[in-house]
Amino acid sequence: MDTVLRIENLHKTFRTGFIPKGKKILNGISLDIKGGEIFGYLGPNGAGKTTTLKCVLGLIFPDKGKIEIFGYSNLSVKAKEKIGFLPENPYFYDYLTATEFLGFYSDLTLVKKEEKPAKVETLLKLVGLEHAAGLQLRKYSRGMLQRIGLAQALVNDPSLVFLDEPLGGLDPLGRKEIRDVIIRLKEEGKTVFLSSHILQDIEMICDRVAILVEGQIINQGALQDLISETVSVTEITISGMQATDCEGLGECYSAQEGRILLKVFEEDKIPDVLQLVQAKKGKIHSLIPRTETLEDLFVGAVKQK
Amino acid sequence: MIVSCASFLGLKTITDEIPRAHVPGASIIYIPSGKYLKHATFGYSSLAADLIYVWAIQYYSDYSIADRYDHLDHIFSIIAELDPRYLDPYEMGAIIAVYEARDPYLAFKVLDRGLEKNPDQWIFPYQAGHYAASILKDYELARQYYKRTMEIQGAPDIAKRLYADASFKGMDYQTAWENWREIFETTEDERIKKIASNHLYQVKSAMDIARIEEAIEKYREKFGRVPGNLDQLVRTGFLISVPKDQDDNDYIYNPETGKIEPPLTWWKR
Amino acid sequence: MKIRAIALNTFKEAIRDRILYLLLFFAAACIILSRILALLAVGDRAKIITDVGLASISLFGVLMAILIGTGLVYKEIDKRTIYTLLAKPIQRYQFLLGKYLGLLLTLAVMLVLMTLIFLVLLFLHRYPVEGNFFMAILFIFVELCLITAVAMLFSCFSTPILSTLYSLSFYLIGHISWGLETLINKMPTGVLKTLARILYTFLPDLENFNFKTEVVHLLPIPPKIFLYSTLYGLSYTVFILVLATLIFRRRDFI
Repeated sequence: MDTVLRIENLHKTFRTGFIPKGKKILNGISLDIKGGEIFGYLGPNGAGKTTTLKCVLGLIFPDKGKIEIFGYSNLSVKAKEKIGFLPENPYFYDYLTATEFLGFYSDLTLVKKEEKPAKVETLLKLVGLEHAAGLQLRKYSRGMLQRIGLAQALVNDPSLVFLDEPLGGLDPLGRKEIRDVIIRLKEEGKTVFLSSHILQDIEMICDRVAILVEGQIINQGALQDLISETVSVTEITISGMQATDCEGLGECYSAQEGRILLKVFEEDKIPDVLQLVQAKKGKIHSLIPRTETLEDLFVGAVKQK
Repeated sequence: MIVSCASFLGLKTITDEIPRAHVPGASIIYIPSGKYLKHATFGYSSLAADLIYVWAIQYYSDYSIADRYDHLDHIFSIIAELDPRYLDPYEMGAIIAVYEARDPYLAFKVLDRGLEKNPDQWIFPYQAGHYAASILKDYELARQYYKRTMEIQGAPDIAKRLYADASFKGMDYQTAWENWREIFETTEDERIKKIASNHLYQVKSAMDIARIEEAIEKYREKFGRVPGNLDQLVRTGFLISVPKDQDDNDYIYNPETGKIEPPLTWWKR
Repeated sequence: MKIRAIALNTFKEAIRDRILYLLLFFAAACIILSRILALLAVGDRAKIITDVGLASISLFGVLMAILIGTGLVYKEIDKRTIYTLLAKPIQRYQFLLGKYLGLLLTLAVMLVLMTLIFLVLLFLHRYPVEGNFFMAILFIFVELCLITAVAMLFSCFSTPILSTLYSLSFYLIGHISWGLETLINKMPTGVLKTLARILYTFLPDLENFNFKTEVVHLLPIPPKIFLYSTLYGLSYTVFILVLATLIFRRRDFI
């Protein structure tokens, strides 16, 4: 698989104020995004995710570094023809209807005039907005705006799509729908660059991730490589026993309705627990082995910094 | 809301009644000159000229302002600087000066400015000539203005006649005669020919009578009395010959008073 | 064409701006009131009506150009609609040019509307319409082209309020610069005079587009000045647009 996006040693400092005080936002970012994958770009707020994206899209000019899209310079029109972008909290011309809006954006790309109406219709169907096609964007809800934004990003049938917090502010149903769309994009052979700080979604759909903290990438790789499958703790909810009975087996907490929550860190202790519960005539309500989540990885990485 | 509305309406009518010392538009006299004002109009100088002119009309129609003529020249000069080719204000300014302020010299200033900035407008010296002749009875001045009028292309023919007439009234018979002759010979209008002919009669009569009266005076000096008839003047050598009027009639001489009259009234011919 | 798409979209957006209609209302009011004003004058009424008409069209046209032009680019940046636009395969200059032409089209429509109102008034009173009147309107439009470019230039890096002030200053300077020439002629020759002369040549001379006086007094306008004034206007406009493009090109959109 070839590289569709290559970022080399990106640096960016923002100077604000009358006497410019520099604030270094990006400190040597290097990434390789391969074709056909869903790439997750994570980081806490203020880490520089959006800045990186804007550098890639030519909205901001980096101090140092090289960016190539499909081998072309990221600023060239040829590169832009193959990409789509959905910004965070998108805002569009609110006096246009969805159809007019998508029509206008398609005029800016290589979409031919004859193909335009069909294209617009397909896109609206894809994001589930065909019922609101004639409605002005000012009347759209947050979720609808997010979806029309996604449609706009796909208007030129791009091979590489950049999504900045695409699932922010959506209800669970909306999030599922957008996740499905993103997976569909991958199935169509597109590459998706997803920037977010909502880890559950990333975990669900991304192939590879990079974690950005304070302008530097501190971890990157395939998701399954980064998250170990080893069980770190097993959580068992028991009723009919006292906390004192479980001493020595793990950490014991009181839970609701007279139950106790027992966290067992060694896997070989679990049969002992089961035996104990049986002996004491207690009841096991749940037994959940927890593997390391992305959240754990993330929090650990940030704490390290 | 209704209370406040009623109250401000009421207060307005009350404050309108209160007499206040009014110095309407006096601030305009503090504008140094139209030349600088033009800078402040940013390309709208023509409109500014209009507005000031319209204001000026209202100002001069307000008879309660006692000293409104003090700055007439200044105000109209501002209008002239802002839009020199706006012709109405020059004429209006002159009219106000002559008939309201009763100061023809003020009118001349305004009209002179009008002519200076619009050398193709014969109306300005023309009107000035009228004011000089009819109000000041300064025929020399009138003559100069009419001459200026004549020099401008497009001036009406009557300017020439007025020039000739003013010359006559100013006692410059020679110029009057020459001009009336020229008018007589060059015009094709029968009516004007008649007028010219009448004026020629008038001028000739005046010239002749002046000559004769001069002779009578010399006779009286010598002989202590006026001559009995005009032939005596010729016999005694004070006149070479007794002139006849334009139509070859004799002048009427009254030996008792020593006065000469033309036989006809010139304009009744 | 991409520029055309942006221009039409800008036109659609600008034509909805209520400021335009407010100013149009004031312009119409002025033109109609001029009829009443003319009653107060003694003498030539048509002159006053034409003066007020041309002045209103010119003034309100300039206000429209400045008030909308200064928000043109700023609004896009502030509302962040520009992000998705610039991510599309267009060059930045195409974006600028499209916005400029869109506003120009809007102004042309407004200008035509104001002129129509004025012509209706003239027609109702059977005053004659001079041929040069349309030339004066045309040059008001040329002036608007330049003013719009200037407003847009400031909009690229400044807030609307400041941009409005700067644009107004440009307009005012443009109409006073002839005074500088008078001053220069009175100066003694020397370095200062040369510097002043250079400054004078560089400052905009908007009086080049001002034919109001000639129209009102029915003075002939030498045809040469039509050509040269238009070229002056176009080249100055191009200069300003290029300047705007240069500034816009390397701008970071944080």
